[in-house]
Amino acid sequence: MANASTRASKKQFTLLLVAIGVLGAGALGWVATRSKGGGEVVDPNLPLGTAQGFLMGSPDAPVKIVEFADFECPACAQFAMLTEPDIRERLVKPGLASIEFFVFPLPMHPNTWSASNAAYCANEQGKFWEMHDRVFYTQDLWNTQSTSNPGKKMKTYAADIGLDAGKFAECFDSQRHYPNIKASGAEAEKRGINETPSFIIGGKKYSGSLPYDEIKKLVDAELVRLGKADTTKKSAK
Amino acid sequence: MIIAAVALVGLFVAMYLLLFKLGVIGTLSCKIGSCDKVNSSPWAVFLGQPVAFWGVGYYVVLFATALAGTTERFVADRRVAVALVTLTGWGVLYSAWLTYLELAVIHAVCMWCVVSAVLVVLMFALSVADLRASAK
Repeated sequence: MANASTRASKKQFTLLLVAIGVLGAGALGWVATRSKGGGEVVDPNLPLGTAQGFLMGSPDAPVKIVEFADFECPACAQFAMLTEPDIRERLVKPGLASIEFFVFPLPMHPNTWSASNAAYCANEQGKFWEMHDRVFYTQDLWNTQSTSNPGKKMKTYAADIGLDAGKFAECFDSQRHYPNIKASGAEAEKRGINETPSFIIGGKKYSGSLPYDEIKKLVDAELVRLGKADTTKKSAK
Repeated sequence: MIIAAVALVGLFVAMYLLLFKLGVIGTLSCKIGSCDKVNSSPWAVFLGQPVAFWGVGYYVVLFATALAGTTERFVADRRVAVALVTLTGWGVLYSAWLTYLELAVIHAVCMWCVVSAVLVVLMFALSVADLRASAK
């Protein structure tokens, strides 16, 4: 009797494990397959090009905010949409600070390469920041979860922001900036950056999607350190 | 038996996080918290390997030990119960450390890390109960 009960219990246990195994493996298979379609495979032996920062604001601005971001990182998009407009309006426009943007493609975001490529190609036509904004504001439409063909979206965005579509497509398809994108990531690593977004303000490193107030505090402190505190009056509170 | 089942669930959670870390999964499904931020932080790497990698190894060992404890050969063996308490106790301490990092250092919480921590605490409670029962 006891043996029969133990056998039944063991059978139920085995069934439970099989059910968990099937459900778990099925779920993992589903998410991996769904994502795989969107994942661009970048040649690991890509040569290293030149790291380039993209500047917004006056090169003579007393404070430089160096940003390292991944176009597919949600926290970076949050920063670009919520915090950066205030920084541009209240710190960059009055000449208190400039922003230098470096792309930092993270391995878990395969489609970020297409977005970075689009931004570099837009830069050839003087519209880096327009493409920067476009890809961040539409991140959920082209990220790895959404599409297996981010390039198609990028070409639409190029037309939206008024780029020469032919020149853009030639640049985008050639992937000539991939070595530079790789170099930009290497530059971030060289500077000890290991998450996105990260910032260097006044030689110090800060990580995470910082709110405007915190960025302003850091810029103000740097202006005080440089003896240019009177210029802080220019910036709105 | 329940511990093995819970460990198997934990194994799939750890595998999910590892696949993300390896770039197989683009974005984590994370309704609560900020999984991307936590898993992209420097604390998501331990001894040169992703924490999720160690998590997979941990859950495999735990699952194998718990499964062994259900076999006729080891069912009355108290050493299995002691091993489970030790393994899950270590898991509770490590999960507590990771939770501290999330709250105090990274300032973001990863929903899947919380799920793993809850599973580990549950398995610890079950293995302590099992050890007590085996002492009687």
